[in-house]
Amino acid sequence: MTTTVIETSVDSSRALHSVARKTKIVGSALVGPALILVVAINVLPAFYGFYLSLRQVFFFADEGYVGLQNYVELFRDPFAWQAVGRSLVFTFGSLAIAVPLALVSAMGIRRLGNWGSILLTVLLVPWAMSPIVVALLWKWILVPSPGGLVGAIFAAFGVPPQDLLTDPLLAMPTLILIGVWRNFAFAAIILTGGLGQIPRDLYKAAAVDGLGAWEAFRKITLPLLAPSLLIVISMLTISYFNEVQTIIGLTGGGPIRQTTTLGYLLYHTGFVELDQGRGNAIAIVMFMINMLLIALYIKILGKQPGAAA
Amino acid sequence: MSIGKLDRRAVLKLGAASALLPALSGIALAQGHSGTIRIWTFLSAEGQSPREVVLRELIEKFAAANPGVSVVVEAQPFQELETKFVAASAQNRAPDIIWMRDTFLDLVNQRGALANLDDELSADFQSNVIPDLYPVFAEKSVMDGVRTSLPLWPSPAQILFYRKDALAEIGLDAPPLTWDEFIPVAGKLTSGDRLGFGLPTNDNSVSAFINMMTGFGPDIFDAATGQFDVTGPEAVETASVVRQLVGAGALSSTLLNAMGDDIQDQFAAGRFAIVQAFAPRFAQYKSIAAAYDPNDLAVSAWPAFGDRPPAVLLGPYWTVGVSAKSENKAAATAFVEALYTPEASMQWAEVAGLVPDRRSVQSDPFFSTPEAESIAVFNALLDAPGALTFPPKLPDITKVFPIMNTALQELIGTDEDVGAILERAKATLGW
Repeated sequence: MTTTVIETSVDSSRALHSVARKTKIVGSALVGPALILVVAINVLPAFYGFYLSLRQVFFFADEGYVGLQNYVELFRDPFAWQAVGRSLVFTFGSLAIAVPLALVSAMGIRRLGNWGSILLTVLLVPWAMSPIVVALLWKWILVPSPGGLVGAIFAAFGVPPQDLLTDPLLAMPTLILIGVWRNFAFAAIILTGGLGQIPRDLYKAAAVDGLGAWEAFRKITLPLLAPSLLIVISMLTISYFNEVQTIIGLTGGGPIRQTTTLGYLLYHTGFVELDQGRGNAIAIVMFMINMLLIALYIKILGKQPGAAA
Repeated sequence: MSIGKLDRRAVLKLGAASALLPALSGIALAQGHSGTIRIWTFLSAEGQSPREVVLRELIEKFAAANPGVSVVVEAQPFQELETKFVAASAQNRAPDIIWMRDTFLDLVNQRGALANLDDELSADFQSNVIPDLYPVFAEKSVMDGVRTSLPLWPSPAQILFYRKDALAEIGLDAPPLTWDEFIPVAGKLTSGDRLGFGLPTNDNSVSAFINMMTGFGPDIFDAATGQFDVTGPEAVETASVVRQLVGAGALSSTLLNAMGDDIQDQFAAGRFAIVQAFAPRFAQYKSIAAAYDPNDLAVSAWPAFGDRPPAVLLGPYWTVGVSAKSENKAAATAFVEALYTPEASMQWAEVAGLVPDRRSVQSDPFFSTPEAESIAVFNALLDAPGALTFPPKLPDITKVFPIMNTALQELIGTDEDVGAILERAKATLGW
């Protein structure tokens, strides 16, 4: 009897191993093509980009290995440091408005039910638009001359046209607001999904325990929304930090470099000045900063109670 | 030999003839040209602008004369033409024909991407057509003794367009041609929503600052290096003029991000009285005029400094080359030659209002008509004593315009010391 049991157990174990092996094979087969694509499209070019960043490459002519010279020159360039600062201002300025706005929108959308879904679909239109189209659209809306929509609205209230894109003080805040307008609805969708994952019972229990709306939000919603927030903040950080197309279309890095972010500097160095060695060095630095920021988010938000959910 | 029976000699003859046939037909096709030629230009084959209409007609005409050739236009953003072409050339997928700016010709040629046209152009073209082109442009296409391209649409390039109606408001027919006189006039032209003077300040293809500086004549460019003195007295005086234009209310800080296209669109909407514009777009400016009568559009040279002649900087302009890696150089060159026939020159002139490439066609009665009035003005500017071109090898061509544009923005938008702004531009250029 005992022997039979042992034999059955061995068979079960073998069967389990076999199933596990087959599962691994199927999994690998499913992931494999995507992995090959990622390696071919992202990883290999990234390595090639790093290789080029160690060389002097101008207008597609490789003038040889220069070691870390491109990086040294980049770090010595005061305009590059200004660009890093402006990238951080643009990124965190946009995040500071977009994430709370997305959260409030997500909560409102859940309360509105079907109407909320329709509203969200409408709000998603800017996100679905091409960044260059967004830039052209806003350029015409903001042009401080006859034909500009905002200028016409200001004029109706007796306010003279405002140079929102050409004033060195106003250009960056204007870009931030346009960046928020473009992306917050996408963040709201993810957060709406996250809110849907939180059990309603918790709020009922909190109400029984006498917790107010703010406390329930702070002690239940926020912690349990942490995984969704982590996704939203990470994705928006990458999106904002790497933003370049709307900047090209709206301000061209100006006025007087005031909107020259690191992403725009990369475009300008690599595609206008055609200094591809240094352009790749900027790309590598941007990649490192992106990774650092995401690691930071994972460390901070990963500690939240809901992060394991 | 009877029919139906072939002796050995007849079989050999037939064999020899059949072997020769493909070769003979190949010769015939080569003379008539065959295959596909790809063209990279900023013009679209489907576009409706005057230049696009002419290009389409020229392609149709070429295709009719060369039924074996298929001409494919692959429109590209104009600022990316040279870069993409060199990249494509390195990967052996370059088009057969490339439109590029003259300021990039040296760089593109250095990369070995252009065919030697001395070897490709027909003897007739070399002996009859090239001498009929404007020498100032045609000679600039010869790099180190080799003809690398052919200039298209001779024009005063970046010139001033103005509204006669706006000038008439202050009792003038045309803008003054010295900066001392121009500054107060441009200030007076600012009225209501309209600015007296509009300049592109953020366009990587042009530099209004350099155009203004050419009011000192061709000596601003060093003959040996091609550089200009960014902090020299001429540059300082140019910067001072910019500041005076701002002070007079002619230039506004609202221009700090303006591209050439922005200036064009806003001029059409009535925002400016005088603007820097690309001469070959004259017909386009007329066609989109919304806030004024198109007949009030006119052109002028740039004002000069002191008693020097009014300035006309002949560039950047378009020039056309054949790819060194083209597998169909004969057909490609034939198409390029077709752009310069007297008929083509007349089409460019009549439809697009462009100065004809062939000088000899200017005896045509069309050029005496009111329709050709602007062409006569352009011609006069091309021959003006203040006309000059960029040096054949302007160094740091990819950096110089953006850097001088940032300096111009700083001059317009800040109160910073002129010397400090120019020193920074010089340091950034590394000159």
